[in-house]
Amino acid sequence: MSTVKLKNIYKSFGETEVLFDINLEINDKEFVVFVGPSGCGKTTLLRIISGLEEVTSGSVIIDDKDVSNAPPVERGISMVFQSYALYPHLSVFENIAFPLRVAKVNEKELEEKVFKAADILQLTDRLDFKPGQLSGGQRQRVAIGRSIVRDPKVFLFDEPLSNLDAALRGDMRVELAKLHQNLNTTMIYVTHDQIEAMTMADKIVVLRDGVIEQVGSPMDLYHNPKTKFVAGFIGHPNMNFLKTNATKINKGKFSANIGDSEMNMPIDAGDTKSGDDIEIGIRPEDLEVSDKGGVPMRVDVVEHIGATVILYGSVLDNDNFCAVLPSDSTIKPGDKINITIDPNKCHAFNSSGQSLQRS
Amino acid sequence: MSNLIQMLKPKTKAQTTTLFAWALIAPAALVMFWIVVWPLYETFRLSFTNSNLGTLMGGAEFVGWENYEKAIGGRKFPAIVTRTFYWMFLSVGLKMILGLIGASLLASNIRARGILRALVMPPWIVPIAIGCFGWLWLYNGHFGLISNFIEMAGITDGPFSFLAYKQSAFYSAVVTDVWIGTPMVTLFFLAAMQGVPRDLYEAAYVDGASRWYRFRRITLPQIMPTIVSMALLSAIWTFNSFEIIWILTEGGPRGATTTLIIDTFKTAIFSYKFGAGATRAVLVVLILGIFSILYLTVLNRLNNKYGYAGVRK
Repeated sequence: MSTVKLKNIYKSFGETEVLFDINLEINDKEFVVFVGPSGCGKTTLLRIISGLEEVTSGSVIIDDKDVSNAPPVERGISMVFQSYALYPHLSVFENIAFPLRVAKVNEKELEEKVFKAADILQLTDRLDFKPGQLSGGQRQRVAIGRSIVRDPKVFLFDEPLSNLDAALRGDMRVELAKLHQNLNTTMIYVTHDQIEAMTMADKIVVLRDGVIEQVGSPMDLYHNPKTKFVAGFIGHPNMNFLKTNATKINKGKFSANIGDSEMNMPIDAGDTKSGDDIEIGIRPEDLEVSDKGGVPMRVDVVEHIGATVILYGSVLDNDNFCAVLPSDSTIKPGDKINITIDPNKCHAFNSSGQSLQRS
Repeated sequence: MSNLIQMLKPKTKAQTTTLFAWALIAPAALVMFWIVVWPLYETFRLSFTNSNLGTLMGGAEFVGWENYEKAIGGRKFPAIVTRTFYWMFLSVGLKMILGLIGASLLASNIRARGILRALVMPPWIVPIAIGCFGWLWLYNGHFGLISNFIEMAGITDGPFSFLAYKQSAFYSAVVTDVWIGTPMVTLFFLAAMQGVPRDLYEAAYVDGASRWYRFRRITLPQIMPTIVSMALLSAIWTFNSFEIIWILTEGGPRGATTTLIIDTFKTAIFSYKFGAGATRAVLVVLILGIFSILYLTVLNRLNNKYGYAGVRK
């Protein structure tokens, strides 16, 4: 049983305010990912949970105990750093054993725990090596091993995969997911990579400029983003946006012009009035090519990635428009094509970036 | 003759390149030869002669090992060598300890640490002679600050001349040498400490390691290479430290502060026994050479066996 509650957390470094009124509940055994662009405060928030950073105001509650002013070791957390923070002068064994040596665990129990962690992480034949002799992935595993041996209530990961190459990152994602299943503990994971967030999280917390934009399951965020920011951040390739305005409101739903055609959107207009600026969002994977009708697109770049083909080009006012098509597509750069936009798959955002409710 | 020229002429492109490289090195090599190799050779040669004031115009004779026999067999020699090593170990030890403490303090996150860091430098920046004259006054019995203070504090009941007694003169010289030598050690240690990644400390802090534990198991091993090389450099400088002792005591009273280098100077320059002085200089080189090799070998062994600072690998 290990829950984490954050209540009204504010944090500033001197004059610079980095976190505003953060409220969050993390359930037992949950894999929570903090995601957001660099400078959004996600790492600071993790460091506040770990105790490396103090809150300016607000409280951190782990297992119903206020630990806002407790040193890290009393919080029952362990942390994996972006740089791994391995001790270069110590062997893999001693690196993993470090927290146990600090805690003055007896030699027999210490060896047992280290060997067990090494076994889980497939490091048994590397125990006598120095970190400098290991590959990036192995170093990463040593860092994880060091946090496993403490049996923490909560694991904290600070962008642990960002120093690995793409292939290894994919492998480690799977390994971390397995590890979470094996250890069955609460994990909090910080990343700027939305794919890591989508693939691993039970719950994603999207942060932007020190504020939580949205909290939800990966698919919830994908299908029902509350803001344009979340819509643009989650999903790969990014959602396309087209500027237009509401032409009329009918039974609480609005219509909008996209190109030459007026579309009736199955989206609640809310406070939107006829004539208001609206942005329509459509995911690249929700687009289709049509022979006639639809909106014209000029294709600039074509990426064949095997299973799909990704087109980049311009549509109306958007010069970074992107569409994902089946791999049998024969479209070439420079082609002019027509794409159909299905109103049922569109998202809409008002001028302040808030999402309009889909129904 | 033409044969020789033919032989020296570069035949291949590689040879031309090699020749060109030698030509580039030549000026520097010549200067090095002139200021390092030749004086070393001259000292070595002198040490086997009876060269003195009387033989300045020529006539110095080769005397074989006589100078060495006299120097090593001399009544005072064992005492001088022992004193030199004691002087070196004491002074270097203090410099290392004070340097580590100072660097740790300066590396910590305190206010005005820029100013404090600058304030460490003066003993090192002030010309050694000037610093020593300052200390000369401090140690003075009748007008000296220290003597005055300890008298006021009731520790002594009259003026105390620090440099007038054998023991106090020796330790006073050590204090001055440490005062001059510590700032550089401190700055080198500080630089090394700043090179230790912050993450390591944070990781250890998260695991509950105390300040002392972090210092012992992260800082020390991480800066150990710097400590090792600074200790060796400092040992050589201290072993050969001349001007501090000379200005304070000229090796006295009654030889209490005479180290090997002072003895060398006294013999060669004050007694005009150039040959015997050169012998002592050669002995200094030999002793320091053997010391350095031993030092590095032993440390290497320890390092291979235990890891730096005896931390289990």
